[in-house]
Amino acid sequence: MLDLNIPATTSTPCIRTDTARGVLHMSGDSYPENAFEFFQPVLDWVQAYLGDSSLPLQLDIGLLYLNTSSIRIMMDIFDSAEEAFVAGRDIRLVWHYQPENERVAELAEEFSEDCSFPFEIMAYTG
Amino acid sequence: MKPQDLLALRETFDSNAILLSFNGLFSATLIEEIGHALRRHLEALEASSSATADVFSIYIELTQNIRHYSRQKNLPDAMASGTVVISHRSDGHYEVCAGNVLHLADGKALCRHVEQLAGMDKAELKAAYKLQLRMPREPGATTGAGLGLIDMARKSSQPPAAALQVLDEQYGFFSLQIVI
Repeated sequence: MLDLNIPATTSTPCIRTDTARGVLHMSGDSYPENAFEFFQPVLDWVQAYLGDSSLPLQLDIGLLYLNTSSIRIMMDIFDSAEEAFVAGRDIRLVWHYQPENERVAELAEEFSEDCSFPFEIMAYTG
Repeated sequence: MKPQDLLALRETFDSNAILLSFNGLFSATLIEEIGHALRRHLEALEASSSATADVFSIYIELTQNIRHYSRQKNLPDAMASGTVVISHRSDGHYEVCAGNVLHLADGKALCRHVEQLAGMDKAELKAAYKLQLRMPREPGATTGAGLGLIDMARKSSQPPAAALQVLDEQYGFFSLQIVI
């Protein structure tokens, strides 16, 4: 499986996948005007990873601001993870944020309401 | 513009406590650049990080909506341009206003939608938001998650207000005010 390694731009996040370790990393701002198009490779990777193996998946998130179409896509990604979790897969998510960015924590909190897999919202310390 | 007319424009800016405004054709890059300037400007004014995040987010949703609409409807440049104004009111609230030319029918539908959202409390808005989040994506749609307006209404400290001013029998100028 081909891994993704997309560097961040002003309006798009950094995206890295590690198929061998089962990690999807996304961090930074996300407000591309074509969010559905931008995130399609991520959706494809998640589908393929969850479909091809039964290994654990860790979502390592450090997203900051998301426009509503990025939020919509994120929900699709988390829904796929949720479906796999319900089917017995080891899925966990950690969302890191700077403690002064309350809005990031609130956004993560709302996502977590719709996910039953381990969903940790962690403030960076120090 | 005549040099002596600049004072009147400046007075309009001052009396409305306008921090930043743009009128013209938005490109994706321009939206980013102005957004970047807006964030830096708010930070320099020592706005709280939440206020900065909310103003930025509403600015992005509104300007991207204008761009999506004009492209979806293939509007000529003269009609595709948008107007955005960000102010810091004397009551301490930040305000984002944006407007653009719409087909009258679209403008009327949008006004009704805004009115509907304005009548909802925080819990109802959250429920509407979660419902919209679960709506299936339209095939072929590149965006238009339909979440934008609800999200703005949730971030707003006062009910969102919309106006539609008729330009001719086909078009109107739609404007939306969000107070944070």
